[in-house]
Amino acid sequence: MFFRFDDRLLLISIGALVGSCSGLAALALNRGLIAMFELLGHYRHLWWAFIMPGIGAALSSLFLEKIIKEGAGHGVPEVVYSVSRYGGLMRFRSSFSRLISSCLTIGSGGSAGPEAPVVMSGAAIGSNIAQIFSLNDRQRVALVGCGTAGALAAIFNAPIAGLVFTIEVIIGEWSALNIVPIAVASVFGAQVCRLLQGNQIAFTHLQFNIDPAVTIACLGLAVATALISIMLTRALRLSHRVSHHIHLPVWLKAAIGGCAVGLIGFFLPDVLGEGYYSIQAMVEGTFSNGLLIVVLLVFAKILATSFTLGWGGSGGIFAPCLVIGSFTGLMYHRFIEILWPGVAWVNEGCFALLGMAGLISGILQAPLTGMFLIVEITGGYEVILPLILVSAISTTLCHSFEPASFYMKDLVEKGHFLRPRTDARVLADLSVSELVEKDCIVVPKDMKLGDFVKIMQKSHRNFFPVEDERSREFLGLIHLDDIREYLFDPLLYETVFLEQIMDTQVQTVGLDDDLSVILDRMDAAKLFSMPVVANNQFVGMISKATLLDKYRNELIVQTDH
Amino acid sequence: METRLLHIFRNTPLGREVLLQSTYFCKTIGVNPVIYLPEFIKFLMYFENDVAQIDLDGSYLIAPETAREHAVEIVRSQGLPEPNFIEPKNFTASTLPDIPVNFDFMCCPRTISDLSSKIGLGYIGPRVRRIVQSARFPVLIAGAVYKPWKSVAVMFGGSSNAVNAFRLGVRISRLSGLSMDVYTQLGKHSLDYYKDIIQKKNLGNEMDQYVRNWEVFDSGEFSANLYNVPHDALVVLGAYGHGVIKEMLFGSIMEKVQSVLPNNLLIVGPKYQAPM
Repeated sequence: MFFRFDDRLLLISIGALVGSCSGLAALALNRGLIAMFELLGHYRHLWWAFIMPGIGAALSSLFLEKIIKEGAGHGVPEVVYSVSRYGGLMRFRSSFSRLISSCLTIGSGGSAGPEAPVVMSGAAIGSNIAQIFSLNDRQRVALVGCGTAGALAAIFNAPIAGLVFTIEVIIGEWSALNIVPIAVASVFGAQVCRLLQGNQIAFTHLQFNIDPAVTIACLGLAVATALISIMLTRALRLSHRVSHHIHLPVWLKAAIGGCAVGLIGFFLPDVLGEGYYSIQAMVEGTFSNGLLIVVLLVFAKILATSFTLGWGGSGGIFAPCLVIGSFTGLMYHRFIEILWPGVAWVNEGCFALLGMAGLISGILQAPLTGMFLIVEITGGYEVILPLILVSAISTTLCHSFEPASFYMKDLVEKGHFLRPRTDARVLADLSVSELVEKDCIVVPKDMKLGDFVKIMQKSHRNFFPVEDERSREFLGLIHLDDIREYLFDPLLYETVFLEQIMDTQVQTVGLDDDLSVILDRMDAAKLFSMPVVANNQFVGMISKATLLDKYRNELIVQTDH
Repeated sequence: METRLLHIFRNTPLGREVLLQSTYFCKTIGVNPVIYLPEFIKFLMYFENDVAQIDLDGSYLIAPETAREHAVEIVRSQGLPEPNFIEPKNFTASTLPDIPVNFDFMCCPRTISDLSSKIGLGYIGPRVRRIVQSARFPVLIAGAVYKPWKSVAVMFGGSSNAVNAFRLGVRISRLSGLSMDVYTQLGKHSLDYYKDIIQKKNLGNEMDQYVRNWEVFDSGEFSANLYNVPHDALVVLGAYGHGVIKEMLFGSIMEKVQSVLPNNLLIVGPKYQAPM
């Protein structure tokens, strides 16, 4: 045949569709936010304006909890969880729920970003389109990636960042099978956005002349952004914990958090909303506030973001990271200007860019995403050298203090962060029922030793489960090594019953137990096999040998492209 | 391997009746009941190619302090050992547990998301329909009042799901030792057409060995003919077709049966694979 429409072409074609739909979703959120800002902008100067973020957050929470009935969350961890655990299966409602809820939260002044909501929306679009076409798990995961990349490419007009973020953070696997359709989706997402709202770079900037002094100074900036990243991560978690321990309706907690943001924003308006206007001013070098105000803004934005997201508002941390990063860069620039006034430092806008990259890389622990995102949203390729340095050092330092990124920490702690081709992932894809060996001879407790010896001769196993003949309840196990002394004494054949010599302190496993836990238990007790018991009845044996065999097969399936 | 039935327990008089039906089913065919006592108003079921969010009717969370005790009491009253309870291990969100789907059967009332006042003939809730459509296991839709069944009645219309329903009926008849009847409404096809399907699917022996009576309705309205189905039979039938349009509908036969018969229904969806 001259031409074959194979699976890869199918995936690329559907990926383009998913990328386009995700791009439209991102555009819808963008337009929604602009409309909200225009609508509410007239009231921001009024004394009661501080309650607006509270009302927005409460409405957002009510919408998610009561109307859509979708659990709260940032968006990105939910996508990674679905990719790790369920082959990218996501609910249809997730394709629009976060767009509306985050529009309410951010549009009313909450300190959060629209990127994580569009990531979730795009991922759900990809997942549901995959379900319509009845694709398999691997293809569905690729389409979830397509949705993510298309959405991120559209919201930032940054196709490479969309691709890199998806592979680095969401999928965690650099393979051609994933990269090609995701790249295509990223292009389509960005193209849809460019068609409908023009090809604009998010943050235009001046031309920067990067000299060695700047590169050296970046080392300090990397440390600063790493520290601020760790601070933001911990503030968000603390905020989550505090809010979790307060027993109030979720919408009321969101309203309290939102009002707190409103109060902070009343005095420091730069912390409100996604904050892109402030970033633009900083990148252009026209942000006029002094060092102390900038320091205050860094901490105020951290506080506002913690109150917004930790107390039940809807949105992501991308935009707050960009804002806090640019404040940090500015703060650092002003600080070194005071320390070394004689040095002709590059314009502060350059440090704002580098600060953004440092924060994004630090908080996501994804250095490539940080680098490519900043290069694309600023068009500033000339800062690439210090950008790489800041991103790499910030990620490394953050990793030393926080082994898992903000998004992944909960997943790692619960054992849900399962990257492809890893031990945990292979084990998670196997189940006890697939590994049960059923060729064991079950013996009754009141069998005489002499009868047992005859049965034993027919079996190739060393283990014999013992059960109650009437109730079929599992009572224990006979291991030949343990009863060897009795086996060679024929005098005992008619006088000893199995219940007298069986081991009743046997560790058992259930059909629903995790294989990683079972393996840990086997290692701890130095066992090579364990009985599987369900409803107090013996089901079979599970052994390390069978596990290794199946493990290898599963690994081949996962790595066979 | 252990055969298991999933039951979502509602600690109310209606929930007691449904659990009694579940337990009777388990006892009759030798299945172990596995019970989930909901702690949250919603949960997720991740199927092979679909994820269903089940938003429970508020009555599922009534009196949680006595739910376990009541469930154990009901199961034991039928002479079964203490049941296993599911403790969700995975959560998609903090208040959204994921319930496993690796079961052999599931028991539901006609609706689990809507108010129980809606339960009646002719109504099956959207969530129950979604489960039937996506699950690899058949769904036992229990009547509102406990009533032991004494035979198995299979609705056989010739479709692939009907063939699966026939196989399931045979399995239940074999496991329970109860007799099985098959019901077919002749439409545009003659009886030979249905016999041919049975032969092509290699089910001739099962038909001879397990089926007490194959009742064929060659005239009259199907709804009226359903009067012949015994009041104390477990009705086994297929739901949904395999086409895009058909998957959106329950199937006309299914809709008629569920709106006419008050019996316990065991529904086989399109994803079900019948073990023999």
